[in-house]
Amino acid sequence: MLRVEKVSVRRGAATTLQDVSLTLAAGRTLAVVGESGAGKSTLINAILGLAQCAAGHVTWNDAPVTHCRPALVMQEPRAAFNPRQTLRRSVMEPVVAQRAPTNPDGLRMLCDGLEIELDLLDRRPSEVSIGQAQRMGILRALIAAPPLMLFDEPLSALDAVTQKHTARLIAQMQERIGFAALIVTHDLGYAAAFADDIAVLRAGRIEEFGPAQAFVTAPQTDYGRKLRDAAFALGALERVA
Amino acid sequence: MTIIAQGLSAKRSGRTILHPTTVDIKPGERVGLVGASGSGKSTLGHALIDALRAGGTRVAHVPQSPDEALDPLRSMAFHWREAEQALGLAGDDARRLQLFDALQIAGGDLGKRPWGWSRGMQQRFVIAMALIGTPDLLVMDEPTSALDPVVAAGTMDLLDLYLTDRETALLLITHDLGLAAKRVSRLMVMDTGRIVEDAPTARFLSAPQTQAAQALCAHRNWLELPC
Repeated sequence: MLRVEKVSVRRGAATTLQDVSLTLAAGRTLAVVGESGAGKSTLINAILGLAQCAAGHVTWNDAPVTHCRPALVMQEPRAAFNPRQTLRRSVMEPVVAQRAPTNPDGLRMLCDGLEIELDLLDRRPSEVSIGQAQRMGILRALIAAPPLMLFDEPLSALDAVTQKHTARLIAQMQERIGFAALIVTHDLGYAAAFADDIAVLRAGRIEEFGPAQAFVTAPQTDYGRKLRDAAFALGALERVA
Repeated sequence: MTIIAQGLSAKRSGRTILHPTTVDIKPGERVGLVGASGSGKSTLGHALIDALRAGGTRVAHVPQSPDEALDPLRSMAFHWREAEQALGLAGDDARRLQLFDALQIAGGDLGKRPWGWSRGMQQRFVIAMALIGTPDLLVMDEPTSALDPVVAAGTMDLLDLYLTDRETALLLITHDLGLAAKRVSRLMVMDTGRIVEDAPTARFLSAPQTQAAQALCAHRNWLELPC
């Protein structure tokens, strides 16, 4: 289980996260929503150990979170890869870095699950579609079998149909492998459809944290209600009669 | 008068990316242009704008990214003045403040250059520029993709308000059928450089005819995905 306990992060004199507490159990999905500058990316950096906590701590099964080697899927699919390397080389980097044995069957299974044709691995990032590049990003994150996966706006660069296709593939892989998923997104429709819990971040603080369905039907805070109503107005959520 | 552009087409590196297309839009009509990434939506938007402007139609354009609309070396005040001059209007602070208030960018420093503003504020500034005059057609290409949901919803509501009782027509270009369906009365679907479907929104949603349209409809709602 991921435990974020009373974490504060400062950048210079500014506090970017203040007293943030969250939990995420193995195999479950937590969506973190909120506006730009709310601290969503800082939270990811704190979990990855890339931002130092001024207070509080982050653990996975009671050990420092970095011991479980969480993996990150980034927002811009093509920019997340070295443009000069084949995708295969980039995808295998976690395996090489962790000196894990290479497992061709495992790679085939993951590619199969993510609907990646094996010959795409020998292309460069500019030679595949955005949707394919993002599936490669997910493949790279999964390759060393982390128990915790972090997704930073994984769908925002994709078109509406590809978004839903990719979301479904992520959920299928999660069911098969059982990783915990923390997904930063501004899309409440995605969060409502695929997350067990939703955390609303605002100005570095947790505004609301609870089951996704309860949030969509009855947000507890004014700001939560504003977010939900915006999703209705933008057609990201359909109002349930 | 109905806006008509005929024979729009485009090639890139010898490949046809927009097949000859005719677009007609009635005054005040709100039309959505939807389709997958790479289907040719923005290309058609650009071709339409060029053809209409060449024929004397007044077209305001909000491009997909504020980077396409704002010069990084010029101040925001310069951009605003330039837009007013292009429309032949004298400077009017009241008009500007009204638009800035509505788009919640009144706190922005006009003396700064675009990169002194956040991307969301830049995008709303570009939308405000497009609303200075009364164009015949407003073309918006993914206008809300750089905005937070609350601001995006507010911006679209403001736009609705602005278009009410005006002769200005809207062409909303987006990959997101969910968004378009809420805001337009007619939908055009693009697929591989062609308009493959063109129908009133209600009829389109209830009976999409082509494969591209059916895919868009099936994936419109996060909570009712086909499996």
